This record gives sequence, structure tokens and C-alpha cells, in this order.
Amino acid sequence: MMLLRCIKSENQKLRHSLIFPACLVIPVIPAVMGTFNYLQNAGILSRQWYSLWTQHTLFYASFFYAPLIALYCSYLWRLEHQNNNWNVFMTAPVSIPCLYLGKLSVIFRITFLTQLWVGILYVLCGKIIGLSGFAPVDVYFWLLRGTLAAAAIGALQLFLSMVIRSFSVPIGIALVGSVFGMMASNKGLGLYWPYSLMLMGMNSNKTTDVLGGNTLPFILSTLIFFLAFYLTAVQMLRIRDVRT
Amino acid sequence: MNFQFTMQLRAERLKGRRRHLLLIPFLFLLFQILWAFWQLNRATPEELNTGYLLLLHHLPMMNTILLPMMAAVIASRLCDMEIKGDTLKLLYTMQKQTSLFDCKYLAGLKYLIAFTFAQGLLIVGLGTSYHFGESLKWSMLIEHLAVTLSVSAALLAIQQALSLLSASQILPLASGLAGCFLGLFSLFFPPLIARLFIWGYYAAFSSASMDWERNSKIVHYYETPFPTAGFFLFLAAVIIIYLLCRTITARKEV
Repeated sequence: MMLLRCIKSENQKLRHSLIFPACLVIPVIPAVMGTFNYLQNAGILSRQWYSLWTQHTLFYASFFYAPLIALYCSYLWRLEHQNNNWNVFMTAPVSIPCLYLGKLSVIFRITFLTQLWVGILYVLCGKIIGLSGFAPVDVYFWLLRGTLAAAAIGALQLFLSMVIRSFSVPIGIALVGSVFGMMASNKGLGLYWPYSLMLMGMNSNKTTDVLGGNTLPFILSTLIFFLAFYLTAVQMLRIRDVRT
Repeated sequence: MNFQFTMQLRAERLKGRRRHLLLIPFLFLLFQILWAFWQLNRATPEELNTGYLLLLHHLPMMNTILLPMMAAVIASRLCDMEIKGDTLKLLYTMQKQTSLFDCKYLAGLKYLIAFTFAQGLLIVGLGTSYHFGESLKWSMLIEHLAVTLSVSAALLAIQQALSLLSASQILPLASGLAGCFLGLFSLFFPPLIARLFIWGYYAAFSSASMDWERNSKIVHYYETPFPTAGFFLFLAAVIIIYLLCRTITARKEV
């Protein structure tokens, strides 16, 4: 009940914010440019829907998915960092896990909408350029896996934005972390670095499943990172005095 | 006037104290150092022989991914303090709007200059420690650094204007992110279309290029002529971008 009220109040804080336009506009760029790139290299990219997927996710999942979530998280905490709102936030008659989970739930909801929009754009672009049939089921599964990976990144970025009072620095960290993530994934160490999970989950720039059908280690890794960052953040909120 | 401007610049410097702004270019550079080690450690002896060309080809791409965001973060850190503290009303009673823009810009530009200079040292340092076969062509290095700084300077002006105009910092940071996207994609587009995206200019002016043989996977790096006339035209565009951003920001009603 308390959690529901927290989620409701976090949703109210987001009304008329620029988060939703950002969530709508930014995925359009990789969709349009990825499709353009696909058309430019149609001779080499022969696997139709799968090839289009590689072009859509090539940069989106590798570099920009995490900074986009970081943008959402920074905005959510910015409201508390301003105007002594930390005092109001911490003195609310609600448990700390509920407060934090309220924010996390909102992040998941926006991320889910972003992913849904990415999926819609993918299908739309495929149809516009005249790909036959329907998008393969695998792709929807990869989209879902990518959304799941957002749990770990959402928890991490929410933690970073809580600790770092700057709006922009956590977003910069997410971008650098994502580039590291691509390198870690190439070395086969993706499961040990949270920023790699999204590109592995979304099977970025690959036509065959990078996890080889074995999703369990991926889910475990996501769960461990999520719990680690969530528990650290809640513990920090419990023991540290606020800075307004 | 000069004394006033010096005092206003000093005020910006004081505002930046203990905000750890230097950490931003330092962290981005640290990442590039780690990336360069990773790249050079897996390079073949033939590639190491043309190590400077390898770096001058790949670093502009790395800059395209990272520097638009670095400019956005620096501008946001410098301007957000005024937005958060609602100090613009107070400041504009004491100094011109254009002067505040100039001072903030110079405060941000020094970090870009430091980053560019450090990147130059990184290239020279890597060449010495990895014993690249070829000798460094200083003109190429200077061209690379001039391009890096001028493109970053243009992006900083855009980001600063957005940061000062926007009450929340979503718009400037989202546009920084979108810029990284557009710049990166533009590298794969035909040159005529790629020219439309300023974020990709880091690599557009690169004076090193490569050939890749699909079957043997052999990479060959080579020098390409630097488009001097195009670059000077771009420098003129940077000045226009700066003046445009400055004028738009000065017209904002506080």
C-alpha cells in the first residue's frame, strides 16, 4: 500500500516533465539512422529482419541505452536535490525501501515504455522498407531480455544519481561505462560488468543469440547486480545524514 | 571594461572551486588511455609500425562517441549552479548577459584545452613507449588537436546555450546524447550527408584513414590530405555558432 502511494507520488512528480519527449525522440535516431544504414549496405546485410535488428541495436544498446536510463534517474533525483526536498523526502512517514522502490518502479516503467517504443519503431521501419513477413519471435525475446537488464542499470544509476548531486556526471559515467561494457562483452566478461548486460540481453549487432540460448547466467548476473546496488542504496539512505 | 571582465572571469573561477570540474576531462581521458592500451596491445607488429596513423584514425572516432557528452557535462556543471540557485536575476543586474556567457564559456573552454593538450601528450607518450616504427608527423598531430579543440568548442557553445536556456537539464543532456548518436551514425553515411552533423566532424577532418581486406583481415593505415580550406571554413562556422548561441541566450527573459 505504502509502495503504491510512493509510486503514485513519483509519477506525479514527472507530470509535464521532458522525460517522456526524451523517451520518444531519442530512440527515433537509431531507428532512422539504423534503417538508413541497412539500406546503404543491403548487399552485405542479407538476413532481412535479423540484419535490420543489428543496425538498430548496433549503437543504441552498446552506447546509449544506459545513458538514457541515467538521464531518467538523474531527473528523478534532481527533484530531491533541489529546494531542501531531501528533508521532505526523508521525513515522509514511509519506510526507506518503499521510497527507493517507488523511484525504481518509475524508472522501470519508463524504460519499459522506451523498449516498447524501440520495438514498435523496429517493426515500423522494417515494414516501411518492405521487409516481408513478421519480425522473428527471437527479437521480441531479446527486447524483453534488454528490458530485464535495465533492472541492474536502473538500480546502479539511481544509486549514482542519489550519491552524486550533479545532474550530468552520472550520465557521463553511464556513457563511459557502456563503452567499457562493449569491450568487456567482446572479451567474454560481459556477465561481470553491469553495463554489458544490456547489449548482451538485446543481442546487439548479432544475428545469432550471443547467450547461446542459456539465459540463466544472464538472469543471475542481473539479479545479483540489482540486489547489490539496491541494498547499498537503501543502506546508505538509512545511515547517512542528508545534505540539502 | 577589461578590469570588469577580469573580475567576472575570476568570479567564475571561484564558483568552480571544489566542484571537481577537472575530474570530468580527467575521467574521459583516463578511459581513452585504457582504451589505447587495449587497442595497442592487440595490434599486430605491422599495425604498430604505423602506430601514429592507427591512433590518429581511431581517436577521432573515440572522440565522436565521448566528447559531445563531455562538453554537455562540463556546460551543465557550469550553468546548472545558476539555474539551481536562481541566481541569473541577480547576476544580470551586475553584468551583461553576453559577458556572463563569455565568462562561462571561457571557464568551460579551459577544460577542453586541457583535455586536448593531454590527448596530444598521450599520443606522443604511447609512440615512445610502444616504439612505433614510423616517426611522428607533427603537422598531423597539430591538425588532429586543432580539429578536436575546434569541434569541441562549437559543441560547448551549443551545450552552454541549451543549459542556460533550460530550467531542467534534461534538454541539454538529451541533446548531448542525441549528438553522440548522430555523430557516430554519420561516420557510416556518405560524406555529403555526414556533413550535416557537426558531432561527427571529429572524424570528418581526420588525416589518417585505413583499408581493410575482408579475407586476410589485414588492416593498412595511410595518410590522407588534410582539408585545410574546409577546416578554415569550419572555423568561421564555429565563430558564427558561438555568436548565435550567445545572442539567443542574451535575449532570454529571466
